[in-house]
Amino acid sequence: MLDLNIPATTSTPCIRTDTARGVLHMSGDSYPENAFEFFQPVLDWVQTYLGESSLPLQLDIGLLYLNTSSIRIMMDIFDSAEEAFVAGRDIRLVWHYQPDNERVAELAEEFSEDCSFPFEIMAYTG
Amino acid sequence: MAKPADLDDTIRALLADPQWQGHPLYQALDGLYGLYCDHTEQLERMTRISDRYQKAEHDRGMSYAARHEQQMKRLERLLRISDRYQQSLQQLNEELRQQSEQDELTGLYNRRYMQARLRDELARQQRGGRPFCVVLGDVDHFKRINDAAGHEAGDLVLQRVADLLLSRLRQTDCCARWGGEEFLLLLPVTKAAEADVLVRNIMQKMAGMHITGMPDGTVLSMSFGIAQSDSSAVSNVESLIALADAAMYAAKNAGRNQLFHAD
Repeated sequence: MLDLNIPATTSTPCIRTDTARGVLHMSGDSYPENAFEFFQPVLDWVQTYLGESSLPLQLDIGLLYLNTSSIRIMMDIFDSAEEAFVAGRDIRLVWHYQPDNERVAELAEEFSEDCSFPFEIMAYTG
Repeated sequence: MAKPADLDDTIRALLADPQWQGHPLYQALDGLYGLYCDHTEQLERMTRISDRYQKAEHDRGMSYAARHEQQMKRLERLLRISDRYQQSLQQLNEELRQQSEQDELTGLYNRRYMQARLRDELARQQRGGRPFCVVLGDVDHFKRINDAAGHEAGDLVLQRVADLLLSRLRQTDCCARWGGEEFLLLLPVTKAAEADVLVRNIMQKMAGMHITGMPDGTVLSMSFGIAQSDSSAVSNVESLIALADAAMYAAKNAGRNQLFHAD
């Protein structure tokens, strides 16, 4: 399974996958011109990883600003994770934020309402 | 009249009784009863099938409704999150705008903002508007304060001066921190004589100001230069500022704690 390593730009987040460790990392701002095109590889990775193995999945998130399409895609990814979790898969999510930007934490909170898997909102320290 | 179940029993009993087997109606009743039983069974099967169709349709409808409701909830959440992102961007925008116009230490406008305001004000006057005044004021012996009491005390002095200036200004006046210990007042629709009154008032208040953390007897003062915007020497913002600046330096040279008007 091919891992993703997409560096951040001013309008797109950094995306890294680690199939061996079962980690999907996304951080930065996200307002791509065509969000569905941009995130398709991520959606594909999630589908394949969840479909082809039964190993745990950790979502490691440090997203800041999300446009509406990006929010929609995050909801889709979290839905897939939720489905897998309900089916017995080990799924966890950590959403990191800078302590001086509480808004990010509040929005992460909003996302967490549809998720029953462990969803941790953590301030970066140091 | 007999109930259908009773009638069923009666007919079955009659047909089973050997004494009626030779009866002329026996064959007819036997045939009719067989037909009746077939039809009843058929009707029951049809009803059962029909019921199952109805139930399936009903379930399908319910699942559509449930799915619809789920989609609506999802959409609402999406909109709510999106709205909040927009709000936070707007707040951020506002903070950045303030930061770009404000002097961090004193909370006054910064030089950049004041420069734009001066350009606007001068353009307005040159288009036939009323003249205005620019006042440049510099805290006297500020270096001494910094050296004697430290930078924090110096910062405090600048904050107190800013507060004093703001408290004496009229609604339409505007004040900026122009440089280190230099402040600029923009007084729209004001002649030099009126500016003079305002500045002398500020100087008087400043003389009575007590600054904590300063050696006893420390008296704060500023030197001021006033320039009126319709002076013949003014062609742009730079030349207007240069006039006020020259007047302020004249005030410094004349012994400080003075107010000089541009020539």
